[in-house]
Amino acid sequence: MERLLVQAQEVAFRFSFLVCGHAQDAEDVMQDALLKTYRHIGRIREPEHFRTWLYKTVRNTCLMKRRRRVDEPSHLVSIEQGGPPSGDGFTAVDVEDPARGPDEAAMNTWLGDRLRAALKALPPSYRMIVFLREMEGLSTREVAKVTGITEANVKTRLSRARGMLRDQLEGV
Amino acid sequence: MSDRDCADILAHISSYLDGELAATECGAIERHCRDCESCASVVAGLRHTVGLCREAGSAPLPDVVRQRAQESVRKLLAERRRDG
Repeated sequence: MERLLVQAQEVAFRFSFLVCGHAQDAEDVMQDALLKTYRHIGRIREPEHFRTWLYKTVRNTCLMKRRRRVDEPSHLVSIEQGGPPSGDGFTAVDVEDPARGPDEAAMNTWLGDRLRAALKALPPSYRMIVFLREMEGLSTREVAKVTGITEANVKTRLSRARGMLRDQLEGV
Repeated sequence: MSDRDCADILAHISSYLDGELAATECGAIERHCRDCESCASVVAGLRHTVGLCREAGSAPLPDVVRQRAQESVRKLLAERRRDG
């Protein structure tokens, strides 16, 4: 049980930090994930269901935190938004600078400045797909379940996000 | 190689990297990339990008974060045991 509870908090931290860009919220999101997982743990039957349940729960908590924030800069949008509205012209959405969080030095070492900057430049909905698929290792089906979009849409967004990340990393 | 070939290749690179294509389709992409420097560069760049993300994702979180998580779990479990 202890391992699952630690795992839930680690997922919560990574999601909060990398997808939402709110390192300062991470502690609250971790605590929420801990309590919800503790209450849910007796109902876990299938590991795959637990994974999707956990990521959905953390995602919803991050969304709720964002809605509750009274000091949020006006340019931030929901992580459900930010994809290209049409054609190929779209604008990346800024998130708050995670470097303001309490674990700046440790997180820089962990992720690397370049990759973190490249992730930050992605539209939030794309960033979430990259996070879930590439960094957390969820399958396309699991990502579709967590995000509530179709598997085909997951693949499309992932393909575009990879191209954008490559451009960022190569300085194109 | 024609532009059409390159467009087809680019449209399928992501699936190729995920191992979702049939062997014949993979072979076609690999043959194309042997002759097309531009597509080969895109494939290499995307492979590197995906590798970086996966590497970062598999790296353990900093000790400070893991210790915080472990302390919270110990505290919660101790509280629940105390409360019966």
